[in-house]
Order: sequence, then structure tokens, then C-alpha cells
Amino acid sequence: MDEPAVIVAFWVLAVLTLGSALMVAVVRDLIHAVLFLILSFVGVAGLYITLSADFVAVVQVLIYAGAVSVLMLFAILLTPRSARDNAPVPYSAPLSALAGLIGAVIIFVAVQTDWAKAGDDGRFQTTASEIGRALLNPYVLPFEVASVLLVIAMVGAIVLVRPASEEEGA
Amino acid sequence: MTELRTPPYVVNIGPQHPSTHGVFRLRVTLDGERIVDAEMILGYLHRSMEKLAEERTYTQNIPFTDRMDYLAAMTGNLGYCLAVEKLAGIEVPERGAYLRVIFAELQRIASHCMANGTFINDCGAWQTPLMYMFREREQILDLFEMTCGARLTTNYMRIGGVAFDVPDEWYPAIEKFIREMPARISEYEEMLLDNEILLARARDIGVLRPEVAINASVSGPMLRGSGIAWDVRKAEPYSLYDRFDFDIPVGHNGDCYDRFVVRMEEMRQSVRIIEQAFSQLPGGPVSTPVPLALRPEPGEVYARIESPKGELGFYIVSDGGPAPYRWHVRSPSLINLSVLKEMTVGLSVADAIVTLGSVDINVGEIDR
Amino acid sequence: MSLPIAAWYDFDPFRELHDWLRDHTADEVVYVVAAVIGAAGILTFVGLGALVNVWLERRIIGRIQVRRGPNRVGPFGVLQPVADAIKLIQKEVLQPRVSDSKLFNLPPILVFIPAMLTFAVFAWAPDLVYADLNVGVLYLLALSSITSLAIFVAGWSSNNKYALLGAMRVIAMAISYEVPMVLTLLTPVLFAGTMSISGIVDFQRHYDVWLAFLLPVPVLVYAVAATAELNRTPADIAEAESEIVAGYHTEYSGMKFGLFYAVELINSLAVSGIMASLFFGGYSLYGLDEYIPPWMIFIAKIYFFYLGLIWLRGTLPRLRIDQLMAFAWKMLIPLALINIAIVSVEVLLWRELELDDAVLGAYVAVNAVLGAALVVAFFRMLTRSYYRLPTRVRLVHDVSVPSLPAPGSAIGP
Repeated sequence: MDEPAVIVAFWVLAVLTLGSALMVAVVRDLIHAVLFLILSFVGVAGLYITLSADFVAVVQVLIYAGAVSVLMLFAILLTPRSARDNAPVPYSAPLSALAGLIGAVIIFVAVQTDWAKAGDDGRFQTTASEIGRALLNPYVLPFEVASVLLVIAMVGAIVLVRPASEEEGA
Repeated sequence: MTELRTPPYVVNIGPQHPSTHGVFRLRVTLDGERIVDAEMILGYLHRSMEKLAEERTYTQNIPFTDRMDYLAAMTGNLGYCLAVEKLAGIEVPERGAYLRVIFAELQRIASHCMANGTFINDCGAWQTPLMYMFREREQILDLFEMTCGARLTTNYMRIGGVAFDVPDEWYPAIEKFIREMPARISEYEEMLLDNEILLARARDIGVLRPEVAINASVSGPMLRGSGIAWDVRKAEPYSLYDRFDFDIPVGHNGDCYDRFVVRMEEMRQSVRIIEQAFSQLPGGPVSTPVPLALRPEPGEVYARIESPKGELGFYIVSDGGPAPYRWHVRSPSLINLSVLKEMTVGLSVADAIVTLGSVDINVGEIDR
Repeated sequence: MSLPIAAWYDFDPFRELHDWLRDHTADEVVYVVAAVIGAAGILTFVGLGALVNVWLERRIIGRIQVRRGPNRVGPFGVLQPVADAIKLIQKEVLQPRVSDSKLFNLPPILVFIPAMLTFAVFAWAPDLVYADLNVGVLYLLALSSITSLAIFVAGWSSNNKYALLGAMRVIAMAISYEVPMVLTLLTPVLFAGTMSISGIVDFQRHYDVWLAFLLPVPVLVYAVAATAELNRTPADIAEAESEIVAGYHTEYSGMKFGLFYAVELINSLAVSGIMASLFFGGYSLYGLDEYIPPWMIFIAKIYFFYLGLIWLRGTLPRLRIDQLMAFAWKMLIPLALINIAIVSVEVLLWRELELDDAVLGAYVAVNAVLGAALVVAFFRMLTRSYYRLPTRVRLVHDVSVPSLPAPGSAIGP
């Protein structure tokens, strides 16, 4: 994966992702922040593609940029207008120092780690069937637990929005 | 658990409507999706006809009745002429009376075509049934144009009869109409009546309970849709209606769907009446000569007919002069509209539009 | 591959160009040139498709409504889309002053991108795929979710209470109907064993059976879910919110609105393309693609389904938003889930037990019967309340004139 095209793509996508993530924290309007977040999701999906993870990339777009962002937008729309701007908070200096420290630690650890790629022979591979096999053989328990978790979330959502009058009569 | 409080907000429907009901303004207060309150603001089409009528002779007032319910001009004319004839004691010749009945029933079919077509348009079908029903309405309007020269504001009935006799090309046209119309109505019924989407949109929407209907003096297809068998043509037959054999359709539930089916069936019964009247059409004069400035005896009269929208009544007070002293119209659309709030509270806005379509108002008649 | 008839459509010049470039220049140049030419081809199809669709839609809906469609501009009104485009371009561009101006101009572009990208994965001929992704089916679903996001931005940046209401309804419907779409698009994947579109078309060509016959219920569910995703009648509450309020594109005038409208038509083509590829054999027509160019067959199938969409639009009234959501969650999703279960069992039996390929014929019969039973059962269950009362009125011949109530008694409250 050291072709010049891949390297160029990586840099473009990295700048896009990090830049839009930075804008999320900086920009004033909360809806704009969410839109920049969506852009960073798409950038991450592109980075997945450069790592030959095609299935994860498409699912990233489908779930994050398609559904999670809609959730965030709805949540923002339910907040009153006055609380909707990305105003600076009182302790911004110590907090950004803390965030910078955590970011530096993460970058140091990531650079120092010796990342091993599974089945790396330099070419683009299809991963969907591998992921499917993995989910159903070694990782079947987390798979089932995740689906139970999703059912709990759905039931909880339905309970939350049921009109109170129905509960009174029960 | 605290409830999510959302303040109710006010939505203004109208006065410019995408649906063809006229300049009518409805201010609804919504709580989320449900309508909490509905307030009607009328008067956008007020032309002070009742006041103007006091300056004109009785014959000059006939065009006003065209323009009140402009989609049912013939029945407006008919009601007014019946009222003045009752006041002045004028007899109408047989041929004139038969022609009146034929044209009034033709107008009923035309008005119901429009009402049902726009109702389904409000339900969402992009004008397809409307175009189909307009095909029949065009035939009827051609018949009108042959006879009196106008399609919409016909000004055809006169005090003492009708204005003109029918021309020769009218006879084959109306025979063709009588022959084809029942099949067309069956076509509409087949396409529309058991349609699940129409049922989903119109069943149990805008339910009008019978006792509320009677209390509010609702009339016409709205009353019959709620299950009450009442038709002025049967209860107080005017102008030869007791000579014809026809049924009146009565609904079960009082919702929009029942009113829709009632109007469809009324079209079929109107064709029956037209067929019988046309077969019995005698010869003779079409109107009794009446002086240009008719001066009836002082007195008052209230005459009512069954117009396509409901019971159309005319209250005329005469003081012996050429113009009426007071001229008041009991407009069915206005009275029928008074129950709109009762019908729409608790529905969503889309359902309110559908309900408004099924009431079949005509703003010209409401505001006069 | 060689075809028996003189092959003007075999794109020989492109093949020669490809070979020449490959021999004389680097691989990257070949890649880029191929990409550019392919994109130009797709754009041509999309652009022409939008024009043709405008004309088709207006003429056919006119015919359904017992009237002719536009017939003034050009013979049979064929230049009507051009006239529409010119009219929209020369309109005054109104932008409300309080709208979010940075975001206002973005949605028309943003909504066009997924529409165009959908055509990249279609298999137009056995060796004519722009991007043969291995996750083609998922890619299509991801694009439809981006479309709903763009619509939300359109509604939001209009700063109009009603536009926002319309946009939120569109999003609610889009995410509701995405679930049946995903579930039904998984069933061809189960049979074919691959998520790439050309792989699925190859499967249908190899076994000489269209997946529509093997999977009748998913086809129906997908057709309904796709109609709702496209915001077309009977599910067009987004744009026909204009009964009382205007939809998400109310504040857009001129060509921006034109783009929204064009994108709806292009999306219709894209959805028809998905249906044709995944369920109805794509470019293959039981061996007829030896004699007719495969891409012609494919485009013919796309337009066949698009005519079906127009037919639905012309005849059916629209449903309310809550009825649409109930329909998605209560009828489509259970049907799709049950079908995935049935199909999984069938595929398991077929592959694991290494049954003969003639078992596919048996599957056709079994699925048809089961599918019909399921659909009828669900339908009866959900629409029982509508038929509780008779759908015809009763006829009364004589009216009894009621006597007036006694003084002091009242009717009603």
C-alpha cells in the first residue's frame, strides 16, 4: 500500500478528517458543528478504504453519517434555542490543555506501537465474508450481546415516548 | 418522569388555499400533531348581495343567486324563483316545471362531480379522479350552454318558469347523457369505493354524530351521511318532485367516507330523476308571463329547496314595492360549516383538510 | 467477447484506446482516463435520463388523467423539459434574508451527489461496470441515507417553520423505510453469496432464473419501501405537505428547485436500476443478450420499472405520515424479517446439503405460495378495522317528517 496514489489519498483524507473534527470544536453554531462531524465521519470512511476495509467503510457511512448524525440532529432540535450555540465555557484554557495532553499521549502511543496488519500482502482485499465468519464463530457472544443491547435500547425508547395517559389507566 | 412540554402553536390555513374551496381562513391551534382548537374567519368573499338586492327588482336579483353558490347556479335560481312565486302566488306551466327539475338535477350531478373530485384531490390523488369526473361535468356544462348560453352562472330560471326553451340539439345530447352516466358512476364506484388508501384516509375521520348534526341544523349530504334520512325533496316536495320515484342514500357512520359515498349515490339517483322527467316532458309554454317589475303583495315567505350542498332557503319580505324589502339566504355551506370545529378537534391537520373537503363548502354562498 | 451482429455498440474505440494507453503510459494514466470517460458516460445517461423522465412523467400522467400531456413545445411536446429548464434558469433567485446563508446553497448539490453515485455500481454489460465494489449493495443503502441528510439540511437552512416540519417528516420516513429496504436487499445477497451487483447479475444469468421469481415478497416490499424513500405518491407527504404548508424545498426558487426535482427523477431511475439489477436479471434476458446489446436491455428494464412508478403516482391517493410509519413498522418489517428467515433456511439447505440446482425451481413454487399467504394474512390483519362498517350506503325511499320535540326536551347535549 505504498503507491503514491494511496499516500496522496491518505493525506487528503487525514487533513479532511482532522480539519473537520477541529471545526466541530471551534465553530459557533451547533448545527454547523454536527455537519462538520458528518464530514469527519465520511473522512474516516475514506481512511478505512485505504486500509482495505471496504465493508467497515460503507457501514461507517451508512450508520454514522446516515443514522447517528440524524439522531444528533434531532437531539439538537429538541434543545431550546438559547442553549444551541457552541459558546466558549469558563474553563476553556485548562480544558484545552488537558485535551492537548491526552491527544499527545494517544499520538505517542500510536506512533510507538508496532501495528501488524492481518493478511497483508499489499493488495486490496474484500473483508465482508471474513467479518461475517468472525462474527459467527469466534465473536458470536459479543454479537448476540450487542443485539440484546439494541433491543433494550429500542424498548427503552418506546417506553420513553409513550403518552403518560396510557400508564395511568393500567 | 417529566413530560416533554411543547407549546401549542397556531397555524393559519388559508385564505389562499391550494385546494379549491375558495377564500376561506381556518386558524388551527396545534399541540404537536393534534388540533386543539379551530377558528374560522369568514367574510373574504362578502359582496353584500343581500343589501344590493334591496335596490333591484325581483327579476334583476336572479343573477345574484347564480353567483352565490357558483358551482350550483341552477339550484340557486330555482330556490329563489320558488320563493318569489310562493310570495306572489304565480303558477308555473308544466313544461317549465319539468325543465326546472331536469336542470336542477343536472346541476346536482355537476356539483357532486366537483365535490367528490376535489375531495379525492384533498386526499392526495393528483387530480386523476377529478379529471375523470370533470369529463362528465363538461357534458353537463355543454348542455347548459346549449340552452342558456352560459356554463357556470346560468341565470336560467325566471319567476314563473324558465327563460328559454331547449334547442333541438339538446335532445340527443341529454339522451346520450342519460344512457352513459350510470355506467360512468359505476366506473367511479369500482375504482374508488373499496380503495384501501381512501378508506384509510377517510374512514372514521371527521365523524359527525347525528344528534350534533340535528342540533346544528346541518343539512344535505352531511346530514344524510350521519344516518338521518332527511331530504327536502321528499319531506316537503316542491316543483313536481312528488311525481318521481327515487331513493335517498343514507350513511352509517357520519365520517368523510360516508359523505363521499352518499354524494356518489345521489348522482345516480339524480340520473333516475332526469330520466323520468325527460320521458314525461310535455309540450307547452315554458313560463308564465310576469311583469318586469313584479310587485307582490306585502308579506314574507320562506321557501327551501334541496341544493347539492344542503337545504338552501330564501327568506323574502315584500313591502309591495318592485324591490324586496329584505332578502336573506339561508346558506347551507355556512350552517354546515358551524360543526367543523366539533369534527376536527383531535385530528391532525391533513385530516382536517380532508374533512373540510368532505363538508363541500362554497365560499361564495357562505359570504354572499 | 464477440457478438454475432456488427458491433457498433461494442465500444471498440474505447477498447483500442485502453490497450494503447496501457502499452504506452503508466497504469495511473489508464486508471484516470478510464474513470473520466466512464463518469462522462454516466453523467450523460443521468442528464438525458432526467430530461426524458420529465417528458415521460407529464405525458403519461396526463394520459392517465384523460387528457393529453404537454404537446405544444416540439412534436409531442418533447422539448418541454428543455423549456422547463430554461424557465427555471431564468427565474429570479430568491433567498430569504434570515436563512442560514452558508448552508442554503449546499443542499441542491448535496442531494445530487448520491443520486449520481448510485449509477456507478450498476452492471450495464458483462464487462461494463464503472466500479465493481464488493460491497455494492451496502454502498447503495449508504447513499440513500445521505440523501435524507441533505434534505434535512435543506429544510433547516430555510429557517422556515413549515420547511423544517416537512424535512423532519422526510427524515422520519426515510429512516423508517431504510430498515425494510436493507432487509429485502439482503435476500438476493443470500442467494448469490456476494454483495457485488455484477456478482448477483451473474448468478441470475448462470442459473437462468430471475431472483424476482425466487423472492416474490422481497420484490414487493422493496418496491413499496423504495417508493417511500423516493417520496413519491402514495408516500409523498414531503412535497404534498403543500396542502397546508410547503415542503422542504419551499424557499428554493429557480434552478435550485429544479435540481431537487431532477434529483427526484434521477433517484427514481436509480431505484428502478437497483430493482432491475438485483431482482430482474440486470442486463440478461434469458440469453437474448447475445443478440441485443446488454446495456440496452438494462436501460429498457429500468424504464419499465420507472413506468410502474409513474403509474402508481397517477392513480393512488396519498397516505398520512402516521399511516405510512405504521405501514413500515407493522407490515413491511415483519414481512421482510420472516422472508430473511425463510430464505436463509433455503440457502442453507441448498448449499450445505449440496442439493441439485433444480431445487431452485422448487424454491420458486414454495416461495410463491408462502409469500402469497403471508401478504394476505398481514393485509387482513392490518386493514380489518376499515371494513368494520359497510362501504356502501343504504337507500331510503320515504322520509318521515318528524314531529317537533315537546317543549323542554332536547336532542343531544
